[in-house]
Amino acid sequence: MSPELSTPARSARAREFRRILADMLRIDRVRGGLVVAADGLVIAASLPRGIAAEPLAALAATLGRELEVGADRLKRTPFQAALFSADNGTIFLGSSPVGFVVVLGDKEVNVGLVQWALRKALASLEGAWGSAQVHVPASPDDM
Amino acid sequence: MSFLRLLSRIWDAITSLTRPPNPATLFRRADLYRQEGRFEEAADLVAQGLRLSPNNGVGHLLSAYLHLAFRQIGPAKSEFQSVLRLDPYHPRALLGLAKIALEERDIAACRPFLDKALQYYPDFPEARALQEMVSGWSVVAAGPGQAPAYAGPPLQLERLKPPAGGREFVLTQADGTLVFAQHGDKDAEDLAAHVTQVFRIASATLQRAGLGALRRGIVQAAAETSFFRSNDRLILSLSFPHDVKIGFGILETDKLWTNSLRELGVRA
Repeated sequence: MSPELSTPARSARAREFRRILADMLRIDRVRGGLVVAADGLVIAASLPRGIAAEPLAALAATLGRELEVGADRLKRTPFQAALFSADNGTIFLGSSPVGFVVVLGDKEVNVGLVQWALRKALASLEGAWGSAQVHVPASPDDM
Repeated sequence: MSFLRLLSRIWDAITSLTRPPNPATLFRRADLYRQEGRFEEAADLVAQGLRLSPNNGVGHLLSAYLHLAFRQIGPAKSEFQSVLRLDPYHPRALLGLAKIALEERDIAACRPFLDKALQYYPDFPEARALQEMVSGWSVVAAGPGQAPAYAGPPLQLERLKPPAGGREFVLTQADGTLVFAQHGDKDAEDLAAHVTQVFRIASATLQRAGLGALRRGIVQAAAETSFFRSNDRLILSLSFPHDVKIGFGILETDKLWTNSLRELGVRA
């Protein structure tokens, strides 16, 4: 058995998460995405068939936390966004008060465009939480 | 819906406003709020519920989750431990403590929590994913002065000079062994441990998403941007001020990567 699976979220904030995810998924060559809390809870997800949300969310949240905690240990400024590329695609990760926004792109994905869209999504989340604003360049070319 | 049923629902709604909520109701609402990302409201409800029922495992578990969501690690750990005092095999509490041990880079503490969770709940995907990730880790982030020593060919340091603006250049093996650091001190060991840990977790995440082995990474922070290059054995990290052009950073990192591989006699 799988203990205590999460149920779908329904509030305005949940709608905002799904809207952000839907915007990211409209980008060419983006295969999926997640919004995951720092504890690994899946808040919103849209993933290709065959990729389970919970294990990926657990790993993505662990990665996000290492980037946060590592920056703190090294007395660096907090991480805002990251990407990790492999032979078959790229994972993008953005930090927000609610947790992490995760986007999966295939190997032909426009990295600059996704980075820019992710910054916009993070700024939108920061706005919804009333915290410090994320700087968003005017266009992907300014990234 | 019959008229009587409608009347009954209206009556329930009215009386629920005057009746104090019970802990189960509070925790159920808190969990819904939590799943919607409404952490502050959820935390208020959990605190109310725990005042009414201080030994409620669900309440302590939710409290632990919410502390994690707020990045309050000490209180989260304490709440997970409270859950385990009530139920020593609670899989979610065991997973929570395993994640905290990972954050603290304490692999020796992490593994038993995952093993115990999976012993009683073998089909627990999150715990299984973390267990599979850490099972391949030989050494994790040794303490200061305890890092494994590099035993490869000697390096010509002048060939490993970072470019102008480049800083915190570090080269490690995938097992965490520090091969070279721009500044050879404790900070370099901490940096190498962090770089290794990022490499390991990012690799597992990419594999889980079906994308293959990690080759390159970029981490952007308010004051600096860090670039990673890696193959199965080596990891390179180099940082620049935050306003560096990404293309320039990638180019310079690639040059340093090529030089590093050549120095180490490794084929790209």
